[in-house]
Amino acid sequence: MRRQLRSRRAPVFPHSYRYRLDDQDEVNQNYLADEEEEAEEEARVMVVHNLEEEEEEDEVKEEEEKNEEEGQGQPTSNTWWRKLQIMNEYLWDPEKRMSLARTGLILVIYFFFYASLAAVITLCMYTLFLTIGPYMPTFTERVKPPGVMIRPFAHSLNFNFNVSEPDTWQHYVISLNGFLQGYNDSLQEEMNIDCPPGQYFIQDGNEDEDKKACQFKRSFLKNCSGLEDPTFGYSTGQPCILLKMNRIVGFRPELGDPVKVSCKVQRGDENDIRSINYYPESASFDLRYYPYYGKMTHVNYTSPLVAMHFTDVVKNQAVPVQCQLKGKGIINDVINDRFVGRIIFTLNIET
Amino acid sequence: MGQKTPQIYSVELNGAKDMKQTDKGDDKDKYRGLWSTCLELRKNHHKEHVTKEIDLDDHKLSNKELENKYHTNIVTGLSSTQAAELLARDGPNALSPPQETPEIIKFLKQMVGGFSILLWVGAILCWIAYGIQFSNDKSSSLDNVYLGTVLALVVILTGIFAYYQEAKSTNIMASFSKMIPQQALVIRDSEKKIIPAEQLVVGDIVEIKGGDQIPADIRLLFAQGCKVDNSSLTGESEPQPRSCEFTHDNPLETKNIGFYSTTCLEVSISPVGTATGMVINTGDRTIIGHIASLASGVGNEKTPIATEIEHFVHIVAGVAISIGVLFFIIAVSMKYRVLDSIIFLIGIIVANVPEGLLATVTVTLSLTAKRMAKKNCLVKNLEAVETLGSTSIICSDKTGTLTQNRMTVAHLWFDNQIFMADTSEDHFKQTFDQSSGTWASLSKIITLCNRAEFRPGQERVPIMKRVVVGDASETALLKFSEVVLGDVMEIRKRNHKVAEIPFNSTNKFQLSIHKTDDPTDKRFLMVMKGAPEKILEKCSTIMVNGQEQPLDQSTAEAFYTAYMELGGLGERVLGFCHLYLSADEFPETYSFDVDAMNFPMSNLCFVGLLSMIDPPRSTVPDAITKCRSAGIKVIMVTGDHPITAKAIAKSVGIISANSETVEDIAKRLNIAVEQVNKQDAKAVVVTGMELKDMSEDQLDEVLTSYPEIVFARTSPQQKLIIVEGCQRQDAVVAVTGDGVNDSPALKKADIGIAMGIAGSDAAKNAADMVLLDDNFASIVTGVEEGRLIFDNLKKTIAYTLTKNIAELCPFLIYIIVGVPLPLGTITILFIDLGTDIVPSIALAYEKAESDIMNRKPRHKKKDRLVNKPLAVYSYLHIGLMQSLGAFLVYFTVYAQEGFRPSTLINLRVEWEKDFVNNLEDSYGQEWTRYQRKYLEWTGYTAFFIGIMIQQIADLIIRKTRKNSIFQQGLFRNKVIWVGIASQIIIALILSYGLGSITALNFTMLRPQYWFVAVPHAFLIWVYDEVRKLFIRLYPGSWWDKNMYY
Repeated sequence: MRRQLRSRRAPVFPHSYRYRLDDQDEVNQNYLADEEEEAEEEARVMVVHNLEEEEEEDEVKEEEEKNEEEGQGQPTSNTWWRKLQIMNEYLWDPEKRMSLARTGLILVIYFFFYASLAAVITLCMYTLFLTIGPYMPTFTERVKPPGVMIRPFAHSLNFNFNVSEPDTWQHYVISLNGFLQGYNDSLQEEMNIDCPPGQYFIQDGNEDEDKKACQFKRSFLKNCSGLEDPTFGYSTGQPCILLKMNRIVGFRPELGDPVKVSCKVQRGDENDIRSINYYPESASFDLRYYPYYGKMTHVNYTSPLVAMHFTDVVKNQAVPVQCQLKGKGIINDVINDRFVGRIIFTLNIET
Repeated sequence: MGQKTPQIYSVELNGAKDMKQTDKGDDKDKYRGLWSTCLELRKNHHKEHVTKEIDLDDHKLSNKELENKYHTNIVTGLSSTQAAELLARDGPNALSPPQETPEIIKFLKQMVGGFSILLWVGAILCWIAYGIQFSNDKSSSLDNVYLGTVLALVVILTGIFAYYQEAKSTNIMASFSKMIPQQALVIRDSEKKIIPAEQLVVGDIVEIKGGDQIPADIRLLFAQGCKVDNSSLTGESEPQPRSCEFTHDNPLETKNIGFYSTTCLEVSISPVGTATGMVINTGDRTIIGHIASLASGVGNEKTPIATEIEHFVHIVAGVAISIGVLFFIIAVSMKYRVLDSIIFLIGIIVANVPEGLLATVTVTLSLTAKRMAKKNCLVKNLEAVETLGSTSIICSDKTGTLTQNRMTVAHLWFDNQIFMADTSEDHFKQTFDQSSGTWASLSKIITLCNRAEFRPGQERVPIMKRVVVGDASETALLKFSEVVLGDVMEIRKRNHKVAEIPFNSTNKFQLSIHKTDDPTDKRFLMVMKGAPEKILEKCSTIMVNGQEQPLDQSTAEAFYTAYMELGGLGERVLGFCHLYLSADEFPETYSFDVDAMNFPMSNLCFVGLLSMIDPPRSTVPDAITKCRSAGIKVIMVTGDHPITAKAIAKSVGIISANSETVEDIAKRLNIAVEQVNKQDAKAVVVTGMELKDMSEDQLDEVLTSYPEIVFARTSPQQKLIIVEGCQRQDAVVAVTGDGVNDSPALKKADIGIAMGIAGSDAAKNAADMVLLDDNFASIVTGVEEGRLIFDNLKKTIAYTLTKNIAELCPFLIYIIVGVPLPLGTITILFIDLGTDIVPSIALAYEKAESDIMNRKPRHKKKDRLVNKPLAVYSYLHIGLMQSLGAFLVYFTVYAQEGFRPSTLINLRVEWEKDFVNNLEDSYGQEWTRYQRKYLEWTGYTAFFIGIMIQQIADLIIRKTRKNSIFQQGLFRNKVIWVGIASQIIIALILSYGLGSITALNFTMLRPQYWFVAVPHAFLIWVYDEVRKLFIRLYPGSWWDKNMYY
């Protein structure tokens, strides 16, 4: 292409110089003079050139503008046609004898690539499941030591209520009632067995065998069971709060030393709480509820509870209460986690 | 641009008084020279002609008028107080360096460049998110504030780092240019003083010795036999005579003006040995100063690597923003709170941005710059390192770059025979026949008819390296005779000189008359050298084999044949003759008068011819061959005569042995030049004259249609035109230059290369690179390094981009599937700025996979640093495999702790509720919020370790792009292993050393989790080996096109 172009044109530049021998000498000695002439000539040319150029530039600009106008004026069908052609080429490229196949090929290759990746990950996950049993977690160190939760719980650990206004405490009662449904004596007696207190309820046998659960009856909670006082003491300003230890598979408290609960004022005057009744009276979680075998086999497992009955609390004042678990293997002073082995809530009972 | 502004740009050399006048004047003609140039530079970037026209009348004034004009005295000089006043008024006599960007701007640029903007957005979003949280809930956690602060810190620290690197490389340059403070000998208060040249003022009387640099523009007041080298100003390499006569209206041509920064080569020894001049312009007002300031008018092109990095930043930022926005919309439509969605957005941005990469690139470039500096390429601008690699055209100077910049005797002709002399750098082996009697005579002429002398005190310096006072040809002859004959000065002493006519351009010969060293011979010996045909005219006999023979037609013909042959080699030929003056006619006491010429000037005896050339450097032909195989076109641009230029071009291979120019063909076929088919010619020699008449199109055509081009007799200004022509071909152009006049071309070029030894400060300022040894071969090694760094940067970027997907996927899965967050934002930063930094730098040490000098230079617009295959392969192949591996580690940890994958799905909401402290897992166990958080961090650590382990595999596969790792050698690059070790050690420290510091969200990880991703790492390796295998097996196939990055 280029060559043709070149030959059609006039000579690119005059091949006019001839080298003579004395020319050589001139190079050596009279270079200056030549330069001088050239420089002057150049300068002269430059000046004229400048003027011409500016004019030329203007003309060119005008021309360009014209062209642009024309371009805009032209029907757009041309570009549409071109787009269509490109599309067509994409669908069927006659030169490479390839059609949509190219995209198809890409899709196929990626399909296989991702399919095999999926197969690999499936295989990996399958291997993973082979290594972990469905009944017992492999490790439990992150979930130990056990955390603590209380009931009633409604998104907040502040118990604010007015004794004379049932509306302010009614929801606690409903919550407690609901929670204790699973502890109803009849239900417990029907589903679970009464196992001997004071010792672990160990059930040997295969991992996948269903495990039996020990009864924890609602009636164990006495005054806080809601059986005698359906308002759980809220109507008298003596609220019941139930404490539950988080379930951990395989967790066993120290033999002969069950985990105990004790509450006191967290900050402030110790005497703000003058008396607390615990139910069961031992204020502890009996050993027979341990160990826990996991929800797959230990289906009816009922978490033991300890009820705190705040029978004499200073009224009309927020009292921060901290309830701690105590026993071997229990930690209750982790700074970052205020729910491990302890719980802090405030009682603000108005009369 | 008003009418008044031009004054600042015009070259006004009328001196201070006239300066004031012209400030008022509106004489447009006065400014047409430089001003029109500047105007053009600004207006029309495609047509920049740097020409000059100077108004200066000091050369026309008499000494007296000058004294009055500058209030000085030629004998006593200025008084110190006057000088101090003038110094205060005009400022120091130094070129003001080009306007530097203020440091603070440079610093701020680093703060907002590249990904910084994205990270700033992330940081600000963090703070906004906290603001919203805080307004809702006063006790909200400060996590977002910390994250925002960390992001801001990352930006600031990487910015400081990049700034520091940049500053460090600039400092090298600064120290380089300030190495030799110039001194000047000045007469003040009637005393001669040596002061720094910077303190010169107009009106000062300065004395200049041979070899000195002229300290300012001076009007010569007294000078004899003075020659200056104006090459840095005009590009002409011939020494220019200077005297105190006014010889030309044009100040540039007149002989009584010496220009700042040019060198005074010699001053005749008698009677004073110095030239005296009056300073008429200082500092930026000198001619050099004006030309140097022009360079700043030429736009500095963006370096290719800067374009590439910008392109890459655009890609990554595009991906980050589009994924971010997409998932913001998805999150919002999935009923996430807007605040949460913003936090997701931040996470996605942080995951997508390779925070450490730009710092890595900077380090990589500066490592290469250091390596190049060791090979004599000093890089001023870090990015220029790569530019050199993508160079496709090198416009090289001849003198000093391709040649040794030293006239050397190349051939001798006597006894009707041409002898070759050794022209190599040390040339000790002279192999021609020295037994002939003619040689004895010739050597005597060479030794005696020569005014050049060695500077004293150089006895231990090798002859070729000694400093000589005298012009180039005489130096060549002196060194030649010193090598061949031994102590020249001693010979000259024995043959006492009684009279001498120095060389001048009208006579074209040099003559001296000596007493001979033979005590029995009372005759005087007259020796003469000069232009061969002039010498031959004066001869009637010729010496053959030591015998004088009459000069007949056949010997004359032999002479012309030899002369033609040597001239055709582009060599400068000198003829030598002698005559023993008869003792009767010229007794010992005869007084020779060189003006009256009272001695014979005809019927001499012709002895021989000697030709000299500035020989090519011995390393250059190899370098040119390398360039050719590397697809780099080498264009010679020189001020020399076409024949010389062509000869050198041929001898170094710029014009290859078998290619011909149009003229060669015409000569061979014996037809007229016009009849030759131009397509047959591969090479072309274009002179400056022809270039001037060419249009842009014609120049383009010349540049595209001839593979071998030599531009001869060009002025430095035309270099700029040539460079622009090359750039129009989309070429990356490297230009070498040394003179001040080269600086616009150096600036315009994609990479300007200044000469470290011969180069002027202005050229060094304008250049991107300085060649410390002025050797063309060093450019080629630089090209090699540049190409290597481009390849290795590709690897580094591919390595870095890969893990971005592994960092991004956790967020996407988190948003869509609702699993607890697998990878925290802070953890991402620890990967990007911790474990991945050393390995990605280590890739810069990787050796080339194949001979990089055997492929074409990369196309500026087609061969991108980050191309589609690279992005696709990194993101969609390896990146995805990596995230799968990392997810496997994550799921393993969660499953073994009690949360099986099925439980994790959609657990996010409950998981993140602060008041849920008895969340049940797959086994019925109940978790407090903090226990979950701790598990989440364990998950982060697990994911982090998963990525880290697979990044090791990624690092290994990135060692090559095409070859198998085993071909490349797994252990050849030791730095890679340092990188791997650093990765593992950093991960160990983070996991076990800082395990208790929860602020960093790392926890102790069971050792077995470190190995979960290892099979995946191997899978990545195997997959990549397969990819490379297919690329090698089926070059050019679909696979090759789409999988080779």
